[in-house]
Amino acid sequence: MSDLTVPILTGPTLTLTLDGEQVHAQDGETLLDVCRRAGKDVPTLCAEDRVDPMGSCRMCLVEVEGQRRLQPSCAFKVQAGQVVQTDSDKVQRHRQLLLSMYLADHELDEDDLPRERGTGNLLRQHVLNHGTGPDLPPINAPREYRMENNPYIHFDPGACVLCNLCVRYCDEVEAVSAITLAGRGAKTTIATADQKGLLDTTCEMCGGCIAVCPTGAMTEKPSLASNFQEEKVVRSTCNFCGVGCQVNLHTQDNKIVRVTSPPPGETVNDGNLCVKGRFSMEFVQHQDRLTEPLIRGKDGGLHPTSWENALKVAAEGLMAVRQKHGTDSLGFISSSRCTGEENYLLQKLSRAAFGTNNCHQCAAT
Amino acid sequence: MFGAGAMTNSIPEIRGTDLMFVIGSNTTEAHPIIAMEMKRAKKNGAKLIVADPRRIWLADIADLYMQLKPGTDVALLSAMMHVIVTEGLHDREFVDKHTTGFEDLVASVSEATPEWAEGITEVPAEDIRTAARLYATTEKAGIYYTLGITEHSHGTDNVYGLANLVLMTGHLGKENCGMNPLRGQNNVQGANDAGASPIYYAGYQRVDDPVAQAKFEAAWGTELSPTPGMNLNVMMKHMGGLIRGLFIMGEDIVLSEPNTERVEAGMNGLDFVVVQDIFLNETTRFADVVFPAACFAEKDGVFTNSDRRVQRVRKAVDAPGQARPDWQILVQLAQAVGYPMPDYQHPSEVYAEMAQLSPKFSGISHERLEDNVSGLQWPCPDPEHPGTVTMHSDGPIIGKAPFQTIAYRPSEELPNSDFPLLLSTGRTLYHYNSGTQTRRASGAVAKQPENFIEISRRDARKRGLDDGQLVRVSSRRGTVIAAINISPRMKRGCVWMPLHFPEANTNRLTNDVGDPVTQTAEFKVCAVRVQALVQAAK
Ligand code: SF4
Ligand code: SF4
Ligand code: FES
Repeated sequence: MSDLTVPILTGPTLTLTLDGEQVHAQDGETLLDVCRRAGKDVPTLCAEDRVDPMGSCRMCLVEVEGQRRLQPSCAFKVQAGQVVQTDSDKVQRHRQLLLSMYLADHELDEDDLPRERGTGNLLRQHVLNHGTGPDLPPINAPREYRMENNPYIHFDPGACVLCNLCVRYCDEVEAVSAITLAGRGAKTTIATADQKGLLDTTCEMCGGCIAVCPTGAMTEKPSLASNFQEEKVVRSTCNFCGVGCQVNLHTQDNKIVRVTSPPPGETVNDGNLCVKGRFSMEFVQHQDRLTEPLIRGKDGGLHPTSWENALKVAAEGLMAVRQKHGTDSLGFISSSRCTGEENYLLQKLSRAAFGTNNCHQCAAT
Repeated sequence: MFGAGAMTNSIPEIRGTDLMFVIGSNTTEAHPIIAMEMKRAKKNGAKLIVADPRRIWLADIADLYMQLKPGTDVALLSAMMHVIVTEGLHDREFVDKHTTGFEDLVASVSEATPEWAEGITEVPAEDIRTAARLYATTEKAGIYYTLGITEHSHGTDNVYGLANLVLMTGHLGKENCGMNPLRGQNNVQGANDAGASPIYYAGYQRVDDPVAQAKFEAAWGTELSPTPGMNLNVMMKHMGGLIRGLFIMGEDIVLSEPNTERVEAGMNGLDFVVVQDIFLNETTRFADVVFPAACFAEKDGVFTNSDRRVQRVRKAVDAPGQARPDWQILVQLAQAVGYPMPDYQHPSEVYAEMAQLSPKFSGISHERLEDNVSGLQWPCPDPEHPGTVTMHSDGPIIGKAPFQTIAYRPSEELPNSDFPLLLSTGRTLYHYNSGTQTRRASGAVAKQPENFIEISRRDARKRGLDDGQLVRVSSRRGTVIAAINISPRMKRGCVWMPLHFPEANTNRLTNDVGDPVTQTAEFKVCAVRVQALVQAAK
């Protein structure tokens, strides 16, 4: 679930009336843009900055003077002189009824609220903020889906509001169209094209569908076992390619349980991640990690030793080479995987401590 | 290049461009997030020109796709320049004001007609014309490239060729244009910036410049050598000879350097090897001492990305067992040999020392990065400076930029009857470099469990090979086993393999002949033969 950004006015403006007040807007903007700038609490489910508006969830309806029906603000364009109500009785009544309908078809927790899994559930927030209308009988529609054959993405049809954001992201942003709306009527759900597991589709495991899902119907499988309330979040930079995506590392009990992107707008990755950044963190807590210093024994094998001894053996070994073959018989190979500070220190070690400029990083390109 | 090797423009500028010329970069797999920006630009109406021997995914959505023969980039670029100058499409004002050597360049490409290039590259002459015209006449046009350009024995010429195109069309110093190398690894840029180089201290200050030497001698309190050192490729070749001991931090050179057999022989000729890493790997087999290091999620510091953006890395979890952050180990080793490296309490202090010595990033500090959530892009000379989004907006940094003439010469190793196929190598979306990290990721393992070789249907059929069948791939240097992957993306006569699998290390095949200037090895082109396993066993 990602936050929508507040649009900034850049060009010439027009004026309209919003909840009785005069506000400015720009040609081409939607009513939702204007509402956000004015700080109105207009609930949304299917709106997202990175994809084109679809206007399908009806959550963001507002009353526009002269229009017989309520209009979805996320898709309705501004016009000079419009008179718009975001919280009229009609809007409120409609919203509560709509929320009741969504609830009847949604997985609920002990408090009869939409379930929360740590990715955020907008539906839950809207119910808490705006209340519901009449209690409707649960629908319990049987929904077929088959994308579980993949290690990363869990889909829970009971929490899906069919906003289609995941599909639109997959089409419009990732541009691989691995998933689609499938089935009819109450059985409609999100599925892969031929009901295959995600692994056997064009899916690139970017996890964008998880990131845009407003209800957490799409979740990271590795996080399912974690207790999200105890997650700590640390902002960092991805350690794979040279794009430098910003990541939020979610940890629990000293383990990374999921990786998300900071919201779109301010970072170089604009809210997106690829399979490596989002999911390839298993190596961090892998059992094969080196945990103690090792030195080569007489038997030819590597054996654990203390830090003190390892440093001593390394220092003596390198110095012995230098004494025997000269300063420039040593080479220092640095890593484009390590930090800037570490690369700085490695060249300092090479030049200042050992006296040679034979120092280079592994990938000079 | 124009005074510093880095993306001249920024990643977010891509979405505003009108033309992208992508050459030697399988962007969707190697840099998926940049590819997303390209798709977004495309959606907004930008044109896309792709040049790559493999029909990569981007080629499917390109307005113009040029499937050139591997290793013939110089011919293609020369012909594009030829078209631009003969049709008068160059930017006269920019050329006069900001460049030198244009006359020589014009003379050097006078024979490089698109028809001549077609004979070498196999790209239709008309397509070369169209590409040149589109690129030259579009105001906002950017070039994007990566290892497909540099990992050749003529990699430097390739880069000069691209730079010439940028300069003659004046696509420099403006938004949404420029010359943009996409870095393969998270901190290639940062490692260069920090001085992990045989010729430069931190901040691109030459070791043989007496002023720089004096400055660093004063700061570090010791005498320093003014003799440039060996670069990695040279060190690799001299292992066992001039080079007798190695200290290796965070890099599996035995897996990732070309011509594995020769690297292994060299490693065996060393007297002493220290490796500092997070896993045992091919290189630790040769180590006398192995230091366990912390990974990126277990330490603080900065990475610098492709668009010169310095961003924070923050500790999220504790390192396992006794593993320590690399920076601490380096300090402790320096102290163990008697050099009084300061007891830095935190990497921010190391950064401060580096920034103070390097005018390019003097204005950057960990403190400022807390407030600048999208990072700071160098040059950033003082603490008030906002950083530099687009470089060279006042013309090339080093006054006038010289054109560099280039001349096509064939790759070092071409196919013959014994080794009839051209092998190129690269990365895939799911795996990353030596695979130590991604081969422990369940998704990558499920998608791509073993080494494979992409081959065109015709070449496969000719050899009676089926999809999925195991084959023996051999070059003059070695042999590996891989599974056949018949792919519509491959050109006839060409095959492609990824570099991520230690048990079937593609670098047993690759050529270690280096570019004469950078010594970067020719990972991208060598000659191989492919035989069915059973047949080969006979
Ligand atoms: S992970 Fe990415 S590619 Fe796969 S279905 Fe989700 S959005 Fe599409
Ligand atoms: S899975 Fe999520 S994003 Fe996709 S349609 Fe359902 S609620 Fe919307
Ligand atoms: S948010 Fe406007 S209709 Fe869904």
